[in-house]
Amino acid sequence: MRLLATQSHVVHGYVGNKAATFPLQCLGWDVDCCNSVQFSNHTGYGLDKVKGDATTDLQLGSILQGIVQNFSHDYDALLSGYLPHAESIKQMGFYYAAYKRQEPDALWLLDPVMGDESKLYVSESVVPEYKRLIFGQDVGIDIITPNQFELEVLHGSPVTTLAELKNVLQEMHRFIPIIVVSSLDARLFNDPSHIFVAASQVGKSPVILRVPLIDSYFTGIGDIFSALLIDRIYNHRNELDLVSCVNNTLNVVQEVLKVTRDFSPRGVTMGSTRMKESELKIIECRDLYEGPGEKQELQFTYKTLY
Amino acid sequence: MVYNENAMTKISTRKVLSIQSHVVHGYVGNKAATFPLQYQGWDVDALNTVQFSNHPGYGHFTGFQYDAGHLCEILEQGLTKSLEVPYDAVLMGYLPDVESLRKIGEAVSGLCEKDPHLRWVLDPVLGDNGKLYVSAENVEAYKQILRNNKVHLVTPNQFEMETLTGVTIKDLESLKLSIERFQILYPKVDKIVVTSLELKDNYICACCDRGKIQYALVPRINAHFSGTGDLFSALLLNTLVPPTGQTPPTLAEALSIVLSLVDLILQRTLEYSLSKNDTLPVTINDLKLIQCRDLLIGKHQKEEPDTQIRLINLN
Repeated sequence: MRLLATQSHVVHGYVGNKAATFPLQCLGWDVDCCNSVQFSNHTGYGLDKVKGDATTDLQLGSILQGIVQNFSHDYDALLSGYLPHAESIKQMGFYYAAYKRQEPDALWLLDPVMGDESKLYVSESVVPEYKRLIFGQDVGIDIITPNQFELEVLHGSPVTTLAELKNVLQEMHRFIPIIVVSSLDARLFNDPSHIFVAASQVGKSPVILRVPLIDSYFTGIGDIFSALLIDRIYNHRNELDLVSCVNNTLNVVQEVLKVTRDFSPRGVTMGSTRMKESELKIIECRDLYEGPGEKQELQFTYKTLY
Repeated sequence: MVYNENAMTKISTRKVLSIQSHVVHGYVGNKAATFPLQYQGWDVDALNTVQFSNHPGYGHFTGFQYDAGHLCEILEQGLTKSLEVPYDAVLMGYLPDVESLRKIGEAVSGLCEKDPHLRWVLDPVLGDNGKLYVSAENVEAYKQILRNNKVHLVTPNQFEMETLTGVTIKDLESLKLSIERFQILYPKVDKIVVTSLELKDNYICACCDRGKIQYALVPRINAHFSGTGDLFSALLLNTLVPPTGQTPPTLAEALSIVLSLVDLILQRTLEYSLSKNDTLPVTINDLKLIQCRDLLIGKHQKEEPDTQIRLINLN
């Protein structure tokens, strides 16, 4: 199994490709990582503490061009996460789509990283670029994993009820077969002690899953989530049970967070000097990535939106 | 701890800063070093000196070099000043740009002065098989680093050893001379391992620690692999710097363990890479590191003791 992943690289810590690569390698994937930035650490340390540079669009395009040319049939899966600007999304989209035309069976997961909790943390120009890819003809994206804010930005309307959520998902399924909303607004459920996730497959009723909230400041959770999810979906692609794949992924992410919490100091917030001690314990969790296997219970399933 | 008894969650990780090249596809430089070290319980801070689509052995590749300003900003402003990461070791490999080599050399030198426990492992990547693939200035820069610093381990191949000492290696006698010369020229360097020595049809690896010179006959595999040197120095680091509380082995013991492990990895890589019509010798572009992860943590059938690679005294 071989996967191409285009997202950020931090020298120290575990977000982006650093959070995705090792878990996938432990599961037997050869991971080809194309780095969209090389930074000293993630932005949670405070923006003034981030050293390094983004890969220029020209550089990114040139590397992906070399990859698609030299290894035109090697990839079983394509993954993309944080990309710094519109032009780098365009480059990734162009070469990934070109690869998908050569190998339509390859599975493409796009995480449209734009922001969270009503705030964009990329430039506005990124939004139309993601829209072009997601709502475009013959692009070939199989899975997207937005959070609720990103879902709303992509669709262009707020989601304030579960009925609205269902409608938005249904409309977006005209373009994308699998949508996993990685975190829904807790206000939809009036329950701040859980994280809610939606798993939605075209032609089926969306299912809501919920996991107990582990309340600490961790960065990189979305990146390990999408990496583990594409592994699960790829390995069950012939008889896909999406809810089971998402449940299994959440199970592992939850274990990783517990290990991380037990190793980390309490009360670390954005910009804290103790952020270094709150990095995901990706290495320590080496033996946890396989997850509970086929015998798992669907313990996180909460509600089906009929 | 309540987690799986066998899980690594009870082990405290070791921390290394690894400064080498990055290829998107394949396993050389940081891509060859990072996964094996991580799987053996290291947090690897990978500072990439280049980003290429693949290694040049494929014939065609695309990508770029990071400049000295970028690398030093991350190392000095980020990792050292702002984060103060408590590294156990620094692993330095391919650094093609001479300005970067000098500046990174100085920065790592500063780290070593501040922390006497920091282990500096240096692979002086200069060339192979009689050919330099960096400039003469790079050779000088490496010589200067080795003259002035307490490098814990240096791992030149035969050609690099000859370049650094000025002694041509033809047989065991001249090998011994070159190691003695190295000790005179670079007295601050602690341990030396010379790799890829081809002496009269024998494939040899030699080491020197505290004046004691030893060598081993390395099993021959009729194929050429890219990335073996980078894997080798990473595995040596892992063996020489064990987790807190464990006594490190001697250099000779470490070399025996690592040569045996590399041999197993190369054998499996060859087995998985050959197709029916291949005739030996073959060139293998990519090590099968992911498919060898059981080997990295010793979860394979143990070799009989008498098949282990033995070290022979040279002085």
